[in-house]
Amino acid sequence: MTTAPAIASALPTPHRDRGATTGARLLLRTSLKHDGRLMAPWVLLITVLSVSSVIAYPLVFPDQTEREGLQQAVAANPAIGLIFGPPTDLLTTDGFNAWRTLALGGFLAAMGAIFTVTRATRVQEDSGQAELLASGVMGRSTRLLTGVAMALIAGVITGVLAGALTVLCGGGAEASWLLACTWTVTGWMFAGFAAVAAQIGADARTSTALSISTLGTLFILRGFAYSIEAPEWTIWINPLGWMQETQPAGENLWWPLALGVALTGILLAVAFRLEGSRDFGQGLLKPGPGPDRGRARGPWGLAWRLSKGSALTWTDAFVLLGFIFGYFATSIVDLIEPGSPMAAALAGGSGSADVLVASFLVMILSMIGIFAAIPSVQVMLRVRSEEMEDRVEPVMAGSVSRPRYYGANVLLALVLPVLYMAVAGAVVALLAARSDLGVEFREVWVQAMTIVPAIWTLVAVSVLVVGARPKVAVAAWAGVVAAFVLTLLGPSFGLPDWALGISPVWHVPDVLLSDPDWTGLMWVSLFTLGFTAIGFAGFRRRDLAVE
Amino acid sequence: MTEQSSVIDVQGLTKSYGRFKALNGVDLTVAKGEVHGFLGPNGAGKSTTIRVLLGLLKADGGTVSLLGGDPWKDVVELHRRLAYVPGDVSLWPSMTGGEAIDLLGSLRGSLDEGRRKDLVERFELDTSKRGRQYSKGNRQKVALVAALASDAELLILDEPTSGLDPLMEQVFQETVREAKDRGVSILLSSHIMSEVETLTDRLSIIRDGVIVQTGTLDDLRTDTQTSIDVVLERVPDATELAPLESVTINGHRVTASVDPDKVGEAMKVLAPYGMSKLAVEPASLESLFLRLYEETRA
Ligand SMILES: Nc1ncnc2c1ncn2[C@@H]1O[C@H](COP(=O)(O)OP(=O)(O)OP(=O)(O)O)[C@@H](O)[C@H]1O
Ligand SMILES: [Mg+2]
Repeated sequence: MTTAPAIASALPTPHRDRGATTGARLLLRTSLKHDGRLMAPWVLLITVLSVSSVIAYPLVFPDQTEREGLQQAVAANPAIGLIFGPPTDLLTTDGFNAWRTLALGGFLAAMGAIFTVTRATRVQEDSGQAELLASGVMGRSTRLLTGVAMALIAGVITGVLAGALTVLCGGGAEASWLLACTWTVTGWMFAGFAAVAAQIGADARTSTALSISTLGTLFILRGFAYSIEAPEWTIWINPLGWMQETQPAGENLWWPLALGVALTGILLAVAFRLEGSRDFGQGLLKPGPGPDRGRARGPWGLAWRLSKGSALTWTDAFVLLGFIFGYFATSIVDLIEPGSPMAAALAGGSGSADVLVASFLVMILSMIGIFAAIPSVQVMLRVRSEEMEDRVEPVMAGSVSRPRYYGANVLLALVLPVLYMAVAGAVVALLAARSDLGVEFREVWVQAMTIVPAIWTLVAVSVLVVGARPKVAVAAWAGVVAAFVLTLLGPSFGLPDWALGISPVWHVPDVLLSDPDWTGLMWVSLFTLGFTAIGFAGFRRRDLAVE
Repeated sequence: MTEQSSVIDVQGLTKSYGRFKALNGVDLTVAKGEVHGFLGPNGAGKSTTIRVLLGLLKADGGTVSLLGGDPWKDVVELHRRLAYVPGDVSLWPSMTGGEAIDLLGSLRGSLDEGRRKDLVERFELDTSKRGRQYSKGNRQKVALVAALASDAELLILDEPTSGLDPLMEQVFQETVREAKDRGVSILLSSHIMSEVETLTDRLSIIRDGVIVQTGTLDDLRTDTQTSIDVVLERVPDATELAPLESVTINGHRVTASVDPDKVGEAMKVLAPYGMSKLAVEPASLESLFLRLYEETRA
C-alpha cells in the first residue's frame, strides 16, 4: 500500500493525478472548440439588445418632449414594470438602456448559463457521451468544472463585449460597464444554480426544469416586488433584486455585484460537494418504478403521455402567474389616485378610468397569453427531438400516418394554451371581480379566452418551422419572441400601428368595452391556418430524422 | 389485394443524403414466408434501405414494393401488417418498458396478449422500469417483445440482437423460428454469423449501396472451398493428391481445401493412406463473408 504513492511520485510524468479535476484543461479546450458556438447566440442577443438601445434612443426620442412622453407611457403601463423593473430615468440614453436591458439581458445570460452547465453535465450523461469522457483520465468533478468554467467564461465575454460595444456606440462609460457587469454576474449566479440543480434532478430534463423554474420565479417575483412597492426585504432576498439595485445610470452602485459573486461561490461550493458523492447519471431525486402496463394507445396518447408531467408543472406556474398578475391588476386602483404618474398619463390621454382598467387588463392577459405559447412551442420542438433521438422510427413503423402523428402533437400544442388561459384567466378574473375595479368575473375570463386565437398564431409559427424547415428549429421561437418584443417594447418605442400589428396579440378585441372588434382576430386566424397547412404539407413530404 | 409471392420487391433503389449517395441501385426481393438475411459491411446501406421500406425516407429513384403497396404512400395500411425492431432502441425516458410495449403494439393495431405475456417471461424482462433505467440489452428486448407479440405478416429487424446475451440470443432465435412457423416473413439485417446461418433461408449482401450477391447459403458457398483436416497413417506426396488444393503436410497431419463437389473424389484419393481423425467442413461463414466484404474494397 505504501509503495504505490512512492512509485507514483517517482514517476517523471508531468500529468500525474491532480485529483478530482484532472483533465479539466484538455476537456475545457475541446468543449470550447465544439460547444462554444452554442453559447454565441446568448452573448450576441444581449449585446444586440444593449447596443440597439443606445443607437435607437436618440433617433426615436430625439427631444425632451418625446422622452417625457415615453416616461409617461411607461409609467402609465405598470404591467411593463413586471418584466422590466422600475425605470430609473428614461430621459437619458443610459437610463433608457438600463431600464430596457438590465432585466431582460440578465434573463438571457442566466438561460445561456443554465443550458451550458446542464449540457456539459447531465445532458451528456443521459446521451452516453459523458461515459466515454469519464472513462478517460479524468477526475470526478472534471466535467462539472468544465461546464461551470464555460458558463463563467461566457459571462465574462458577454460583459466585455456588450460593455465595450455599448460604450463605443455612445453609452456612458460607468453606467454601461456597470450594466454589463450585472449580466456577467447574473450569468455566474445561474451557472451556480444550474450546477446545484444538476446534482438534484433525476435526469437532464428535470435538472433543466429546476433551474429554469428557479429563474422564472425569481424573475417574476422581482418585477412583482417593485411593481406593488413591496417592503424592501422582498427585493433583497432575491438575487435578481441585487442586480436591479446596482441602479446603472442612477446611483451606479457597484457593491451589490459582490453579493452576486459571493452567492456564486457558495452555490458552486455546494455543487462540487454534492458532485463528489453523486453517481453518474443520477441525481438526489430518484424516480420510482412505474406501471407495467400502458394506457397510451396512439399518437395522441403518446403526445399527452410525454407532456403530462410538464403540463402539470406549467399549470401550477400559470396559477402563480395569474395570482401575481391578478393581484397586481387589483392594485391598479391605488395607482390611479390623484398625483400618481398614471393619473397624469390619463389626463393627457383620452380615456376614462373604465377604458384604462380595460386596456390594462387586456395588456396583462396578453402577457400571460404570450407565456402560454411557450409550452406549446416546446411540444412542437419535441417532435424534432424525438426524430433526432431515434424514437420516432418505431412509432412511424406502426400504422400511423404522418398527418396523424403530426396532428396529434399540433392538437396538443393548440389545446394546452386553452387550458393555461382558462386557469390563469380564472385566477385573474377572480381577483379582479373581488376588487373594486368594477368588472365581473365572467367578462374578465372571457377576455382571457379571446387571447387564445392569437396564441395559436404564435404556436402555428412553430408548427410551420418543425414541419417544413426543421433545420432552423430555433426559428420556432420567432412568433413568441416577436410578440413579446412588440407587445412590451413596441409602444414605448412609438412604433406605428402596422408594425405593432405584426404581433397577433395586438389584434385581440377588448371585450370589456362595448362593441369589440373581431375582424383582427379573423385575419390572424387565417395566418394560423396558413402556417399550419404549410407545416403539415412539409412534414408529410420530408425525410424523417435526417439533418 | 392479390396473392403476392414476394413481400418485398425493390428494384434499382437509389437514395442520397445531400450530396452523398448512400444507395446506388439496390435490388432486393424477399419471398413470402422466408427469413431473408440482409448483410453487408458497416455503412453499406442496410439501415438506409430499411428506412426507405418503412416510409421514413423517400426513395430518389427505382421502384419499391412492400406487401404489394408503396411504402411511402400506403404507410398506415402497410404498417398494420409489419413490425420493426431497430438496432439502437431509444426509449422514452419517463415511460416504462411495459408502457412502451403497449404503445407500440397499439400503434401497430395488434398485440397478442398471450404472446406478450409469454415473451416477457421468456426474455426475463422487467416491464416496470423506466427508459433510462434499462440496460442496453434490456432496451433491445422491449422492442423485440413489442414486435414479436404483434400479429404482423412481416418483421423487419435491423441488428435486433445487438447487446443480447447468449441465452437471450437463443430465445430470440427460437421466437423467430416460431414466427416463421406462423407464416411470418422476416427481413433480418445482422452482423452475427451464427444467427444468419441458423435462421436465414436466403440472403442478400450489400456493399457500397449495391447488392453484390443474393441466394441461399449453399449458393453462396458453391464457389468457396471446403476444408479438409485429416491425420494419415502413411504420409503421401503432395503431388499425388490431385483434387485437393493448397495442401500442407505437417508430420502425419494433412490440411487442404477442395471444391465442394469434389469432396467424394478427395475421400477416394485419401482412403488408401489410412485416414483417422477426419474433419471435412464447408467454408465458415466468417471466411465467406470476409471474402465477400473485402472484394468490394479491392
Ligand atoms: N442521416 C444521414 N445523413 C448523412 N449520411 C448518412 C445518414 N445516415 C446514413 N448515412 C450514410 O449512408 C451510408 C449508409 O448508412 P446505413 O446506416 O444505411 O449503413 P448500414 O449498412 O446500416 O451500416 P451498419 O452496419 O453500420 O449499421 C453510410 O455511409 C452513412 O454514413
Ligand atoms: Mg445500420
